[in-house]
Amino acid sequence: MNGKTEHNCDTLIVGSGIAGMQAALDIGDAGFNVIMVEKSPSIGGKMISLSKVFPTLDCASCITTPKMAASSHHPRVQMMTYTEVKNISKKADGFEALLIKKPRFVIESECISCRKCEEACPVYLEDEFEYGLGVKKAISIPFTNAIPQFPVLDEEKCIRCGACARVCPKDCIDYLQKPEEITVKAKSVIIATGYEITPMDAKKEYGENKLINVISSLQAERLLAPHGPYGKVLRPSDGKIPDSIAYVQCAGSRDESIGVPYCSRVCCMYAIKQAMLLSGSLPLSEITIYYMDIRAFGKGYEQFYNQARAMGINFVKAKVAKISEDSQHNVILRIDRQEEGSKPQEVKHDLVVLSQGLIPSRKEFFGLDVKLNEYGFIDSPAKTFSPALTGIDGLFVAGVASGPKDIPDTIMEAGSAAMEALNYLKTAKIS
Amino acid sequence: MSKENQKEENAVNESYRQKPKVAVYVCHCGGNISDVIDVKRVAAELSKYPNVAISREYAFMCSSTGQDFVVDDIKNNGINRVVIAACSPFLHELTFRGALNRAGLNPYLYEHVNIREQSSWVHKNDKEGATLKAISLVKAGVEKILRQDPLNSIRVEALHSVAVIGAGIAGLRAALSCAENGLDVTIIEKSDSIGGNLRRSGNIYPTGEKASSIPENLSKKVLSMKNVKIYTQAEISFVGGYVGNFQLNVKKSDGNFEKVKAGAIIVATGFNHYIPHEGEYGWKKSTFVLTLPQFNELLEQSAGSEIEIEGKKIKSVAFMHCVGSRQIDGIDKPGKNGKVNDYCSRICCTAIIHSANRLKEKFPYVDVFDIYTDMRTYGMHHEKYYKDASKNDVIFFRRPLEERPVVEIGSDSIKIKTKDVLTMNEEMEIEADVLVLGTGIVPNDISDLVEYLKLPRGSDSFLQEVHPKLRPVEVSNNGIFIAGTAQGPMDVMETLQAANTAAVKAAALLSSPDIPLDPFVAVVDEDKCTGCGLCLAECSYSGALTMMEKEVNGKKKKVAVVNPALCKGCGACVAVCEPRAINVAGWTLDQFDAMVEAIAKE
Amino acid sequence: MSEKKPKILIITTNHSSYPGANAVGQAHLSYDSNTYIIRVPDPVMFPENFYMKAFEKGIAGIIIMSSGSDCPYEGAYDRLSKRIQNVYNLMKGKNIPINRLKLTTICTVCREAFIKEISDMEKVVAK
Repeated sequence: MNGKTEHNCDTLIVGSGIAGMQAALDIGDAGFNVIMVEKSPSIGGKMISLSKVFPTLDCASCITTPKMAASSHHPRVQMMTYTEVKNISKKADGFEALLIKKPRFVIESECISCRKCEEACPVYLEDEFEYGLGVKKAISIPFTNAIPQFPVLDEEKCIRCGACARVCPKDCIDYLQKPEEITVKAKSVIIATGYEITPMDAKKEYGENKLINVISSLQAERLLAPHGPYGKVLRPSDGKIPDSIAYVQCAGSRDESIGVPYCSRVCCMYAIKQAMLLSGSLPLSEITIYYMDIRAFGKGYEQFYNQARAMGINFVKAKVAKISEDSQHNVILRIDRQEEGSKPQEVKHDLVVLSQGLIPSRKEFFGLDVKLNEYGFIDSPAKTFSPALTGIDGLFVAGVASGPKDIPDTIMEAGSAAMEALNYLKTAKIS
Repeated sequence: MSKENQKEENAVNESYRQKPKVAVYVCHCGGNISDVIDVKRVAAELSKYPNVAISREYAFMCSSTGQDFVVDDIKNNGINRVVIAACSPFLHELTFRGALNRAGLNPYLYEHVNIREQSSWVHKNDKEGATLKAISLVKAGVEKILRQDPLNSIRVEALHSVAVIGAGIAGLRAALSCAENGLDVTIIEKSDSIGGNLRRSGNIYPTGEKASSIPENLSKKVLSMKNVKIYTQAEISFVGGYVGNFQLNVKKSDGNFEKVKAGAIIVATGFNHYIPHEGEYGWKKSTFVLTLPQFNELLEQSAGSEIEIEGKKIKSVAFMHCVGSRQIDGIDKPGKNGKVNDYCSRICCTAIIHSANRLKEKFPYVDVFDIYTDMRTYGMHHEKYYKDASKNDVIFFRRPLEERPVVEIGSDSIKIKTKDVLTMNEEMEIEADVLVLGTGIVPNDISDLVEYLKLPRGSDSFLQEVHPKLRPVEVSNNGIFIAGTAQGPMDVMETLQAANTAAVKAAALLSSPDIPLDPFVAVVDEDKCTGCGLCLAECSYSGALTMMEKEVNGKKKKVAVVNPALCKGCGACVAVCEPRAINVAGWTLDQFDAMVEAIAKE
Repeated sequence: MSEKKPKILIITTNHSSYPGANAVGQAHLSYDSNTYIIRVPDPVMFPENFYMKAFEKGIAGIIIMSSGSDCPYEGAYDRLSKRIQNVYNLMKGKNIPINRLKLTTICTVCREAFIKEISDMEKVVAK
């Protein structure tokens, strides 16, 4: 461990996805100081990796980057990226958080974001930003519009060849960088830790993540993104343009057998959105969505669903019982159609996307004694008064940390948590 | 843009008024630029260019040494305008504005030319071409900055008060948060009491508490705040002013008028329940056809072992989803506005299931039927309610999206005929004593307010935010925020969160004594303005541009006047002004003409 | 490649296509160097004669990369597209082929679309 630093702030925000950034901007704009801590090397959360967003079909990056830029330039918002929160404890005068800043092996104060190191590096790795669909170098800037634009060196995969250090014009590669311990004293805390998606192998009937042409919904987002890994939609097994694509809804929600009995709220809509984008880029492909109920409940969502139906996307009321593949890696779905009530049918598709659900990103929240519901989301004791409250004075929650929700609902919660934090800072007896 | 991103200008250096002395700096970016572009040649070329007094190249302009060159040249060498050719301005524009600020020069007297992302990185195999392009672009930058006026952020004074229109839970929540934040709050409510739609009796998800206790808890807190004033039975007759300083004329219950002044306005006018057309699913044809709110009231009031209407024991109840929601053109009858409600009302599925369960728990003997299309029990524990309903033996029928059940009122019961997807699209006939219509949500009629505040409405008639993600509670008119179901269907939790978001925007806006506004707004050269008014017709922002009689050079004439608090700086007005009297500050047509000239020249 | 090629003016917006052009650079894609990018809040501010004058001064082709439906300004895109129709009429009057002016939409990460617009215009101005 290298060095120890201490920081003070009015509000510590854990997570820098759309919820964290929005809360940081609202609090900063109102005149209070924020530290926003993010475990990944860039701020932006899941939203920055999405293709387009429903129901406006704005490019996700175009909506996220202005918020990223605004929070990184805000004079009262300090971001700490690539930094893990180890523990947060409640003290008499606020909260004390212990953070570990992970080494990038790059001297950030010197780096000019020129990517020469990345070009020189001979080691190729799977790119987690592309959910494994693309490759990156062992030292690389996480993605095009990452903030900050500093590269990260993968300590385990780096072969210490020195190529990056030789080309760096600022001489800022530091192979010996150590993790750094940071203490933050904060008067209030907002938890905005977001979500993970249910694992591909959560349901053993769905191929256990061994079927190459069954992809995750986030991989599909990357395939559809304007700056995605292939620049177009191709199926992974043979690079062929898929003629028939299927979405399996509730593949990780409304399913007691995998411990996720609740509805994840976004999967119907993102599947419809992806289907619409696909039918735009692959006009000849057949796209089918297998669903139980289409939950297009948000503002403008029903109209969006109607638009998708008018575009010729097939909506089939059916449960998918099993997913397997044939020798050409075509995907075979065994479905129970609700309408026909007959025996299960088998249907073949070139590419299948699992509409996975949303689960909490963590099992526990930094040692804080915060109440969780039976699914592991933060449970507000004041649902009908102010749902951003957590039951711990000065601790607030925003976004999917308190349950699945879409981006507009998340942004509303971020504003609400910021409001509560501000009023706590103004009225509570804290030094 | 976050308002804090506009740096304060405290420039004292008035040297820009003198003959222009431009300094040009070309950054190597440690080879990122200089490996492709011949930076020495660019600097040398520019040193010969008119009005350029200093032309330098340096390895890292963004480093503190690089910035020191700029500060030093301004302070000691009489430089009054700066051009830096380097990376994208999005990376370091603010850095160099800071440097100018430190040197005492207005930070807008600096132009950033992008020769990395848009030149050296994209023309790697064409060094000569990239160099020539860089020379042209830097010359264009010099031409632009020669025509640049110093800019100062515009500030308008802000009243530290908020007017909240509507006293339902959204209005109360927003008012409470604003008041706790220290703002003076005036709540203006049309009806005779506060609490809105939830005043009715009945039980509510997700907590199962009495609906009315929610506004009661909020209003208790609101009433305890000294800085909150409430007018009930009050009507707004006029709204004037703009962000920071609105005036609302309010007609009070006693017939007197009150002038309410506010720095910001929160519109929380709420929703109404959809009222079916006469005959729609038997509505008004029988006293045994009720809306969901009516039924909930009945259910809560019914005690003992039986539920009854007009003395008749109710043995079976059918619930119908999507009444007044998810309507389809050509199938459903349009409303007064000539349109069908094509949206989902979001809360009805869960509300119906919640009531069905409550009915079964209270009166287990009752047979319960539920006719739905898609079950939208989306919330955290809503799926559990749905499961519970099945366990409670609620019998479900799923009608196809385009089919409409037919309701026949019999002498002793109500017959509902529907196709059912769950039984292979068989035609089913349900007989029930009571039919409950799951009526949707429609916005309250606020036509007057829409007019006064120039509020935009969507095709669904709800208030329309600027952008659901970028500015979800704002309308294009600065200082006006929307909260709760006036914007679209929401449940209680969602409404409270939305109301708090509207409150935080008002609190942030009014957090300092004045509101800084972007300097990049339209400005009028009154000498050139002919008063033709063409610009007015182009402007999309009401009140941003007006024509006024003014004295210019001793003569009275009609000129265009910009209200910088309302102008967004799009420049739509600029294009139609033949004498070029109106321009967007910092982005004038003369600047662009000169830049194009420099680029086109060999 | 350094022979003097006809110049292409690219009008970008602060909001979307200028960052889009940066994304092209960050990806180290390449296009020809006879391309000059200027940025504006919104191209709606340019009158018809701005384009005509640019052609007179010797600009061979103009690509307007607007924000399209992402445009933050009310009504600006409709006004812009109407104005460009007027410019086309003026161009016809001066015998300038109207394909030398192109109105398109480029987002912050539309890298391929950006490159394609340029290569299309390169073909037009080469004639």
